[in-house]
Amino acid sequence: MEKGKGRKRFLFFCVAPAVLLFTVFMVIPSLNVFRMSLFRRSAYSPTEEFVGLENFTKLFGDANFIRSIQNTILLIVVVTIVTFGFALVFAGILTREKIKGQNFFRVIFYVPNILSVVVISAIFSAIYDTNNGILNSLLSLFSPEKVAILWKGEGMVMTSLIIAMVWQAIGYYMVMYMASMSSVPESVYESANLDGAGRVTQFFRITLPLIWTNIRTTLTFFIISTINMAFLFVKAMTNGNPNGASEVALSYMYKQAYTNSSYGYGMAIGALVFLFSFALSAVVNKVTERDALEF
Amino acid sequence: MEQVKKTSGGERLYKVFIYVALITLAVLILVPVAWVFMASIKENSEFYANPWALPAGFHFQNFVEAWTEARMGDYMLSSVLVTALALAILLVVALPAAYALSRFHFRGRRFFSTCFMAGLFINVNYIVVPIFLMLVDGDKFLRGIFGRGFLLNNIVVLALVYASTALPFTIYLLSGYFSTLPHAYEEAAYIDGAGYGRTMVKIIFPMAKPSIITIILFNFLSFWNEYIIAMTLLTDPNGTRTLPVGLMNLTQAQQSAAQYGRLYAGLVLVMLPTLLLYVCVQKKLTQGMTLGGLKG
Amino acid sequence: MKKFLALSMAAVMAASLLAGCGGSGSGSGSSAVSSGSAGGGAAQTIKVAAIETAYGSDMWKEVAAAFEAETGIHVELTTDKNLEDVIGPAMKAGNYPDVVHLATGREDALTETFIKDNALLDITDVLSMTVPGESAKVSDKIAGGFTETSLTNPYGDGKTYLAPMFYSPCGLFYNAGLFEEKGWSVPTTWDEMWELGDKAAEEGISLFTYPTTGYFDAFFYALMYSVGGAEFFDKATHYEEGIWDTPEAQTCFDIVAKLASYTEPTTPAQANDQDFTKNQQLVLDNKALFMPNGTWIVGEMAKAPRADGFKWGMTALPAVEDGGDGYSYTWFEQAWIPAGAANPDAAKQFIAFLYSDVACEIFASAKNADGEPTPAIQPVLNIADKLEGDNQLFYSIYDNGAKAAMGNFAATDAIEGLDIRTVWFDPVNSLVAGTMTEQQWIDGVKDASDQLRGALK
Repeated sequence: MEKGKGRKRFLFFCVAPAVLLFTVFMVIPSLNVFRMSLFRRSAYSPTEEFVGLENFTKLFGDANFIRSIQNTILLIVVVTIVTFGFALVFAGILTREKIKGQNFFRVIFYVPNILSVVVISAIFSAIYDTNNGILNSLLSLFSPEKVAILWKGEGMVMTSLIIAMVWQAIGYYMVMYMASMSSVPESVYESANLDGAGRVTQFFRITLPLIWTNIRTTLTFFIISTINMAFLFVKAMTNGNPNGASEVALSYMYKQAYTNSSYGYGMAIGALVFLFSFALSAVVNKVTERDALEF
Repeated sequence: MEQVKKTSGGERLYKVFIYVALITLAVLILVPVAWVFMASIKENSEFYANPWALPAGFHFQNFVEAWTEARMGDYMLSSVLVTALALAILLVVALPAAYALSRFHFRGRRFFSTCFMAGLFINVNYIVVPIFLMLVDGDKFLRGIFGRGFLLNNIVVLALVYASTALPFTIYLLSGYFSTLPHAYEEAAYIDGAGYGRTMVKIIFPMAKPSIITIILFNFLSFWNEYIIAMTLLTDPNGTRTLPVGLMNLTQAQQSAAQYGRLYAGLVLVMLPTLLLYVCVQKKLTQGMTLGGLKG
Repeated sequence: MKKFLALSMAAVMAASLLAGCGGSGSGSGSSAVSSGSAGGGAAQTIKVAAIETAYGSDMWKEVAAAFEAETGIHVELTTDKNLEDVIGPAMKAGNYPDVVHLATGREDALTETFIKDNALLDITDVLSMTVPGESAKVSDKIAGGFTETSLTNPYGDGKTYLAPMFYSPCGLFYNAGLFEEKGWSVPTTWDEMWELGDKAAEEGISLFTYPTTGYFDAFFYALMYSVGGAEFFDKATHYEEGIWDTPEAQTCFDIVAKLASYTEPTTPAQANDQDFTKNQQLVLDNKALFMPNGTWIVGEMAKAPRADGFKWGMTALPAVEDGGDGYSYTWFEQAWIPAGAANPDAAKQFIAFLYSDVACEIFASAKNADGEPTPAIQPVLNIADKLEGDNQLFYSIYDNGAKAAMGNFAATDAIEGLDIRTVWFDPVNSLVAGTMTEQQWIDGVKDASDQLRGALK
């Protein structure tokens, strides 16, 4: 094209503001996370002391940190699998089946996703109350004696978190899958129908392969957002109680940085979680690689 | 409207199963939300009784207290301002960038695209501290020159941070949509003598309307509901806060009289705007998604 | 009251107040403001930030107004229930209030952070200042013992960095009405306690509950005093080598572990910031007999329903053996001046004013948001005499034979991945749930104690 200079200027003005904001508020702070993880620094005194990798070596001997990482991984795995399964199935039902009130269901399922985590946590506090809770009083209806499950006790607290997180996430992923499923042309299913393929076969042979790119993307979303949401939920719902049983990586980072005045240590946790999420996403991305199917 | 064909027994059972599953999930989602609305008009003493009991009366006082004494009214205003401003900044910055990155071949394009993709992995919750420190240093510097800093406690800066942290996701979504458009649209516009900017604004953006609405809705929700950044950057004790931060204060107050009614009224105040907006635009949201916004 | 003073003296080291220093003169006139530093302008302004607890925030407004009337120094007041969230970020930005009123032992541990960071102003000279508007010196007004604990002199160097504020005896709270009805007597030794626990269990009542593990600090301090006296307490809180292997320490651990087995089973599931009132409700509903708490509990649960004939009772921790001493921990809050404060001199005047008759009167007549009286009691001489109702009962605990326990764990540098509450008190949740053994808990404490010893200030 002849307008080479105008094109350049146009592209510059398109991209520059985004790159600038992105650099200032995301790239530099991220690099700072890594830099600070090499220092010992407390919250209120400005002195910094370079300690090299000491913060990291301490982390591996810190039982509380290891537990918080285990809890994080547990959440990533279980929340992803459960949410993924439900979201796919419900998306399949709502797009493929003739359902009365189809739109109604789609609207309702998405509701938790628009609520603040602070709100959801408060709701689940009411649900999980041992003596007067919505859940235990409901279960008591089906049981000869009063149910008193300790939903926020040591044994159940992770399960309770998982339930709350799945409750929150299903709608979001369902709508995502519905979007890509409904773009699969009807003709593909029609010919499958002629071949006599059943619903389940169609779901696994047609729907899943054709939306595979979308599924891969959402798996990455799952990893990132579960780490993030786990922190928001724990902060607002349990703060790591009881006795650290529900501590997750980022809530532990927060505690160390703010409550224990170990700033560099907190950033070391942040750096490690960051690398971990990146590596895990790369692995998942690699493992799920398939030849893209076109329709 | 539906043609129910002759269905076998298994088919019917399958249908029943589907409806049971759908209705169960719908109930599981609706009941807790509805319960909060019910609880918000209960008197404090009613919270110690059966949670399923209907409110004894309409205790509107909860809302008055939440609005005035717990300052939810003030917080609502700042939440509205921050969210609107952040959305405006985001659109102005992200739309051209996504367009350029997805439809032009130029040097550095791959690099920038990869960078923004990588940005998807950056979790806001652990860069909030460095962001804060950066603004602190900025304020110190400004104080040296102008005698006062204005980066912290500034809802414009908060909005900027919101917009910036939403860039990767937004650009990712929009690029996905833009790259599906045939190049014929622009070529036709260029032949008609339209410049790059004009083509982008007049031809491409209107076509992307469903995607734009999708990103507005998504980001509206995340900005409105966010609390970690808001808590950190709005530091002035007597200044403003956003709604979720104010709500956190209500839920975790120790050693002061337990005020459940006020708490649930506060919950309703935070939820209501998002619910109302959602009811109005949910159709556009799903439309935006089905039209290819998320085809990846 | 006298007894209380004498006893509390036993708990602390001898007084050694540093006299002299530049105590600013009393500001009886309006313009007699001390040499302000960065004030600027005619009328000086100080920023005061105070945590809003059960006492409500109105009393702070009144005291600020009274101070203004007395000295002419304008007070810009901030009160909030989550004060840390409000002032913390601003302070990190270098914007410090001149006076902060905030207790130690809170989850956010802001005061502890300032102690760890050496970021507090030495206020020893305030003690020799004259209370604004009065002729008495501050040290003449503050009750004995309060300015010699590790809570006010965190570095053990005889210098006071934190001013003692609102004190409140902590102890075990119970339903006195239930005890009358059942004909039970309040146990004075732990053996009687276990007997009562078995008796109560037959009636389906648990012996014990606790709001959150944070409430164990006062409990554990008093327990250490009652087991090993002041000497053991001092050694333990300074992480002396081998101290946790002593029979005294073992007794402390054993008592807590046994108490855990008598604890109402839903307690740990509710021992968090969102649900702790539900544990307190257990006592009101006669589902648990005792809980460790402070006097604010009356106002906090004022609106909550309760069993018929409910009457608040409070007792010190039982003695370890017959004839031993029962202890009640004296919980008090602190006011301090950040080292980065812009107006330290005016801030010191404000702190001195907090002990004036006017201020004490205002604090003592505080009401919470519901209009319930929630007196905040300054640690000044002869104040408990003026109280009424439940509070007179609570504040007379020391007149009824209990000894006072004061102090806390010694300040250390921050140690990555280690804080007192997580190591010492959070495991109680697991002991109750049965997911941790007593020995595991002890091992954790010993290990932490070794590390903390090396980081002592």
